Amino acid sequence: MRRQKKPCPITEAGIRYVDYKDDRLLARFITDYGKILPSRLSGVDARHQRQLSKAVKKARYLALLPYVKGQTA
Amino acid sequence: MAKLKIRRNPTRRYEAVYIFDSALEDATIAEKLEKLQGLLNLAEPATIEHWGRRQLAYKIGRHENGYYVISNFTAAPAVLPEFERALKLEESVVRYLVTLYEHELGAPKLSDEELASRRRASDDDDDDEE
Repeated sequence: MRRQKKPCPITEAGIRYVDYKDDRLLARFITDYGKILPSRLSGVDARHQRQLSKAVKKARYLALLPYVKGQTA
Repeated sequence: MAKLKIRRNPTRRYEAVYIFDSALEDATIAEKLEKLQGLLNLAEPATIEHWGRRQLAYKIGRHENGYYVISNFTAAPAVLPEFERALKLEESVVRYLVTLYEHELGAPKLSDEELASRRRASDDDDDDEE
């Protein structure tokens, strides 16, 4: 039996392009350690997941998001 | 999808994010920013947004905070190498990123109809889902 597909949270929010500067949005799609959440878990559609992964990587470079979270420096 | 236009004198829209040393005075940052933007020889002035000081998600060298500035501009690709070289040499800039401008923050919301039609469209072609 097939599970019902989750609606894409990014599409639902009316976002057409995932912006790397929107760290509050991006933060919803990373794990507690700062890894990108798989779309299998978040329900993000493929198009937005591609945008998301690029955006997260840019945001990390700009120190808007951590590369590794929960690390005691 | 945006229509592609073929132009004789190609310019592209870019977005640059600068992270300045937050220890500098606001006036010094403004001055440095102006100098850097000046290198672009812009036909029309850039849209500049100051985010101001915020904490970095991780330390960059000795810096824990940065002063963020975002600039949107239209320029010929040929000016970029020199611009980026200057940025690299500029010590007041902790980090920078120049990207093609794709979309603005807080894109316009889809209307309910658009949303519904998207839903329908995506229901039709989700056979490749697990």
